[in-house]
Amino acid sequence: MDKLEKTIDDAAPGYAAQVAELFREHNRALIAFLQCKLNSVHDAQEVAQETFMRMLTLDRPEQIGSLRAYLFRIASNLAVDRLRMHKVRSDAAREQLPEEIWHGVPVPERHAYATEQWRGIREALRELPEKTHQAFVMHVIEGRDFAVVAQTMKLSERMVRYHVTHALAYCRARVGDLEMP
Amino acid sequence: MAETPIPLDDKTLLAAADWWTRLRDTGNNTDNVSDDVTEQWLEWTLLDPRHMEAFERVTALGMQLGNLDELTRQRFISEFARPVSAPRRRSRWPLAVVAMTAAASVALMALVGYVAWTLRYEGELSNKVYVSAVAQKEEITLPDGTKVTLGGASRLTADFSHKERRVELNEGEAFFQIEPDARPFLVTAGALAIRDIGTAFDVRRTGQHVSVAVSQGRVQVSDKSSRRPDPKALEAGAGQRIFFDPATAALHLGDIAPEQTAAWRDDRLEFIDEPLDVVVANINRYSPRPLHIVDSSLEALTFTGSIKTDAIDNWVNALPKVLPVQVKATPDQIVLSRAQGKSSP
Repeated sequence: MDKLEKTIDDAAPGYAAQVAELFREHNRALIAFLQCKLNSVHDAQEVAQETFMRMLTLDRPEQIGSLRAYLFRIASNLAVDRLRMHKVRSDAAREQLPEEIWHGVPVPERHAYATEQWRGIREALRELPEKTHQAFVMHVIEGRDFAVVAQTMKLSERMVRYHVTHALAYCRARVGDLEMP
Repeated sequence: MAETPIPLDDKTLLAAADWWTRLRDTGNNTDNVSDDVTEQWLEWTLLDPRHMEAFERVTALGMQLGNLDELTRQRFISEFARPVSAPRRRSRWPLAVVAMTAAASVALMALVGYVAWTLRYEGELSNKVYVSAVAQKEEITLPDGTKVTLGGASRLTADFSHKERRVELNEGEAFFQIEPDARPFLVTAGALAIRDIGTAFDVRRTGQHVSVAVSQGRVQVSDKSSRRPDPKALEAGAGQRIFFDPATAALHLGDIAPEQTAAWRDDRLEFIDEPLDVVVANINRYSPRPLHIVDSSLEALTFTGSIKTDAIDNWVNALPKVLPVQVKATPDQIVLSRAQGKSSP
């Protein structure tokens, strides 16, 4: 936070106070918003930090109607950039890694899928209709976009979102909070 | 979170999950739509403190499931994200549930390599498991000296005791060269039990379809749930093949040229009058880009011929010439649908 605090000091006094207030008020929402989009605690923190830096170094903050809306728009754009960057990197990594590396992947004695940790989720998914758990696993676990899932399953994107929403709420209701690995 | 958790009702969770999917989806929208959704979401979170709490819990679950280790991820995909059109059955045995998803291999994108580890499933099993990756063949020597070649995206569980040598082919294909031993050697695959009588043979399991091809000696194939002696058991010798069709639950005996037995060991997949979904599931054990059949009517088509595992794309491209299918290839999958005319609603 040192860098952020320094930037706050450097910004115009009135505006810096405004941004600091914005930060206090919306940081929790911003982090949740970014975690939802980025799927990563670490990335969400970094992007949130960067978002505030950008807010502080704006040229003409007085021209912005709603600082809150602007804050989330910057965050959303930075999130999209980061996702794109990850995709390029992971595609490149997949191509570059020699086979031997995969052969060397250590497999834990008790594999995670078989453990208690995921039992509740597996059971919850088995209780759901086939299309519901399929759409959910393709999007949430496999990481495919709604559009791709929709095309594969021959459903509208709206229906895919419907299935994903229901499975997500159902799994969340069926299992307590899992320990983060 | 240090404070006492606020009880959340299912309706709140459903609303939170709905916001989660809506926010996830705004990436492709214009700024204005995206801003509106975000703004509405913020307003919703401010209405009631439980709203943000529920949203955070839903998001935490999404993050965990989106960041699974590769093997766990593949298992979930195998079990739950296979094409809807493929037939689906359930088994009480959890390993079999995974194995049964023939199209499972569809999802097995890469990874795993050949590994052996002790798997304890909910404290019941203690077996040695062998796994191969898509397009990888693995040479295994079992504890008794029996040699096994494991085909692509296949899984085998070995359970040896002082009385017998048991192997379950959970999914995929394996060629066995049995080491003589006082203990009988038994392979189970789907509904079948295969007893060796001094042999080399190939077993291929595609969901509930099982094929056994003998290159040396003899095997006896029976329904694994029946008592011995099973009156319906069949024996096959060198150059013969037994095929189990789950639709009729019947065993069929046929001939197979010796060079066709386990031709996959020479990078060739051989099919004799087999349903397209079985063919596709087997190709997917070798194809880095999975094939999906989206019209279930196509599964009834049959195919006879050989496919080079290093030239799967050529076969796919030529397929519309021999079968009424349409091929649509994207960078991460190949979709087979019924050619032209009426598309399903």
